[in-house]
Amino acid sequence: MAIAIQPYGADLIPAVKAFNQRLAAGGGVAPEFHFPENNIPHWLPQLEGRRIHQEYYLAVDGNCVRGGFILKYQDFFLHGKPQPLVYYHLPVSEGIINKAYAGVGVHMLRSALKLQPMLFALGMGGFDRPLPQMLKAMGWSLCAVPFYFRVNHPAKFLREVAPLRETKSRRLLAALAAVTGVGWAGIKLTNSLRTSSSERGLFVEQVEGFTERDDDLWKQCREHYILIADRACTTLNLLYPRSKNFLCIKVSRASRFIGWAVLLDTQMRDNKYFGNMRLGSIVDCLALPENALAVMQAAMQFLEQRGVDLIISNQSHHAWGGALKSSGFLETRSNFIFGASKPLAELLSPFQNNQNQVFLNRGDGDGPVNL
Amino acid sequence: MNSPLFERVRGIAADILGVGPSQIMPQSSSENIETWDSVHHLNLILAFEQEFGVQLEPEEIDQMNNVERIIRILEQKLNHHG
Repeated sequence: MAIAIQPYGADLIPAVKAFNQRLAAGGGVAPEFHFPENNIPHWLPQLEGRRIHQEYYLAVDGNCVRGGFILKYQDFFLHGKPQPLVYYHLPVSEGIINKAYAGVGVHMLRSALKLQPMLFALGMGGFDRPLPQMLKAMGWSLCAVPFYFRVNHPAKFLREVAPLRETKSRRLLAALAAVTGVGWAGIKLTNSLRTSSSERGLFVEQVEGFTERDDDLWKQCREHYILIADRACTTLNLLYPRSKNFLCIKVSRASRFIGWAVLLDTQMRDNKYFGNMRLGSIVDCLALPENALAVMQAAMQFLEQRGVDLIISNQSHHAWGGALKSSGFLETRSNFIFGASKPLAELLSPFQNNQNQVFLNRGDGDGPVNL
Repeated sequence: MNSPLFERVRGIAADILGVGPSQIMPQSSSENIETWDSVHHLNLILAFEQEFGVQLEPEEIDQMNNVERIIRILEQKLNHHG
């Protein structure tokens, strides 16, 4: 029977559960890659009058589900003008565990492109993963969104961070560096040499959310980035609801509001990358490019004062990457990949030259689960 | 099956899947050729589209998981093209 792509109706919930069970049994597919077992999205459901929302689609083979993907609809601004785009994410196919279904991934991607040609993908776990390879083969333009980190507590970092725990010899060296203080001294020296002195006269306040008064800044900023997702207050309050653990800060200079950041302070527990560190994340932010440094320094100091061990951020725009580097952050290999479909890449042309003028960060990804 | 179409499909499939042409038989499929995964499946589809000047529909793509079906779908497409 031919496989058909169709919206996820409630009648297919049992088939999705069976699909997830097959994924789990067949190849130990991690639960975060299982397809949602509710047809109404928990995050950003489609509601009347709401522009930003998600839709679920399934690859259905008779009574069986063989795959699924999510489309997140969101308004962007491209060269200062509104441009709706669609984010293709969580494509899961039975092909992962049963090669008889190797074609389902391509079928889903081509169907999504037919539905919404202005498609992009973000995250994906690195260029070597199947999805980015498929996108590349289909002529999409891809680039990594640079990853930055700053170590606040070197001893804990040396004990906990995954790349240093991968081999016995690395574990031993890291443990030695942590115990003797050699690693601590090295990281502290690196931080101090790389950090610009903080700007005086900045005022930072923690807020509960965003209001219409903040939209003036958004209207100013959207002209300054080639591509940026809608960051009006109504959208921000949906993306970063008060009920979650987001920490919102606003930054002012001489009583003038110049930018904001959304942060997370998370105690990790046996995390595969971060061990048991207390992790600070700069999830999202906004300011004019010339004020990026002030906002990043404010965000960094806010998280430092809370006692995080490590601060991380992904930022595509060169001004924000530069601001992080000037704040003592180091850049390392990024697995957070941005892919633009052919029609979108044409609007960003020349893509290779313009990719670092696109404004993307973790806030543009697939929501609270992976922040 | 010794049609010219089969020979062209065999050559393309062998090249993309990194196997000898003799390993590509009508019954060859994603289930019995180790390298035939989702990424190689896409590369096969793109190569057939380019070689034969056809556009494969999403619904046809996941049916093309063995050589016999690939030949059948391409034959239909090429006949339809005239």
